[in-house]
Amino acid sequence: MRHVPEVELHAYLDQALSRSQCVEIETHLATCAHCHGQRDEIAALRDRTTALLGQLTPRSLILPPAFETLAARKPVVAAAAVWRDRFRRAGLWAASLAAAVGAGWAGRSVFDSHPTPPAVASSLPHPLPVLLADPVADLARQATPIPIQEHPTRFVAARPAGYRQADAIAPAPTLQLVAALLPMHEASPTGPFAVTHPDTHSPFDRIWRSVTWEEALRIAGSGLPFIEGLPVVGVLLQPGAAGERPTVIVAQQDPGGEVIQSIEGPVAKVSELLDRQATPDLHASEPARTTPDYVEGPGGVRRTLRILSVTGRLPVDSLNALARLATIR
Amino acid sequence: MIGKVGWSAQRSRESMDDLERLYKTHYAAVVRFLYRKIWDADRAEDLAQEVFIRAMAHRPEKPRAWIFAVAANLARDEARAAIRRKKHLTLLKDDPIPLSTPDPSADDAVEHDERWEQVSGALATLTERDREVLLLWDAGLSYPEVAAQTGLAVGAVGTTLARARKRLIEAYDKMGFQPAHAARS
Repeated sequence: MRHVPEVELHAYLDQALSRSQCVEIETHLATCAHCHGQRDEIAALRDRTTALLGQLTPRSLILPPAFETLAARKPVVAAAAVWRDRFRRAGLWAASLAAAVGAGWAGRSVFDSHPTPPAVASSLPHPLPVLLADPVADLARQATPIPIQEHPTRFVAARPAGYRQADAIAPAPTLQLVAALLPMHEASPTGPFAVTHPDTHSPFDRIWRSVTWEEALRIAGSGLPFIEGLPVVGVLLQPGAAGERPTVIVAQQDPGGEVIQSIEGPVAKVSELLDRQATPDLHASEPARTTPDYVEGPGGVRRTLRILSVTGRLPVDSLNALARLATIR
Repeated sequence: MIGKVGWSAQRSRESMDDLERLYKTHYAAVVRFLYRKIWDADRAEDLAQEVFIRAMAHRPEKPRAWIFAVAANLARDEARAAIRRKKHLTLLKDDPIPLSTPDPSADDAVEHDERWEQVSGALATLTERDREVLLLWDAGLSYPEVAAQTGLAVGAVGTTLARARKRLIEAYDKMGFQPAHAARS
């Protein structure tokens, strides 16, 4: 006599079988003690599973709020969902654009017979590799630790007069909320690296570029973050919208060989970059406010908040301490 | 005769009524489903409401399967965000866990906490797929609905579910739960 397979008994008890299959099994169970016993065992197992999962209930009584209340919230949440979709789409575009630029950049480095002028990155024993989709993670992963040596032009021995400390640290534990609430400013790119796509309105339409410190200074004009006393091993820059300063990531190496990135830019952009660093060992300091951008538009002057965060594979306390040393030119 | 606009409005109203019924019958199941993934009661309720708000905007054809699919996605996003914020999920055990009895004794409270930890620990030993199938089944989804959400064949849902149940019970028994009062006596 063929016994009923265990999986079928589970499905039978879960009422996942057709009527004819149920009849067939019930007929068999009436005459087969073995299968009958197994059915009872599985029923007990099933009941016990339900009882155990029942322990994992947040409250003994879960009452839904009135349906009308929910309907009133609909437009707000729907708008947030639209922005999330835009971010996602923009991220995909940024990834493909970055890959294309990276490939072109790599090809240029291979085929260009003219020596490039000396720069921070090119003076390193290991030049920075081609950019991938995620600039922060990319930089953290690929900036090869170098032996600490004298770099008179890279080290900032003393704070020059034009430098000032970042503004008072204002912890922003709800950065994600801030990013969700603040709509991204519509891209209105300028500068030689600006690229737009007609379907998106996100600043991630613009391309990240690996630049030398001098180039970064020239393009950014101001707003370059760095930690005093650490050599710069790479700079990534993304031009901002009209009237906005660019978003900058400066990678530096600490004495232990760890690569630290200082990210400075508009709140939404920095939040997005921090979002992408979803690896357990990569931490970020509490964001600190830096000088905001004041952008003139049709409705008058608009203020765009900017923040600075220091990330790396160090404890958060260490990164917070480093962030306090960070300087914005 | 109902005009085109009238028919459309009537259909929209029916769809909304269906959604309201689903909301009343399944809200608690969605909260439980989310809670077992993110271990934060308040957040689970917030996300459950967001799921239904999205359902109002999308009016899905198969709303029951749809809301659990969206809930699973939101839970995944939430878990990522929690990792990012360095909030380990187990930190929430510091929060007082609501008890099923209105005025529990201290023993009962301790016992409840211990059992809660052991069940959640046992659940954590399952593979992601087994856990997902088990939670969806416990939320009341049918085999075809579970299959549609997890990408499994309908036939494989039974196999996965059978395995998940066994492993959950085995893991729980291995932890050897003993009631607090029994342990003292």
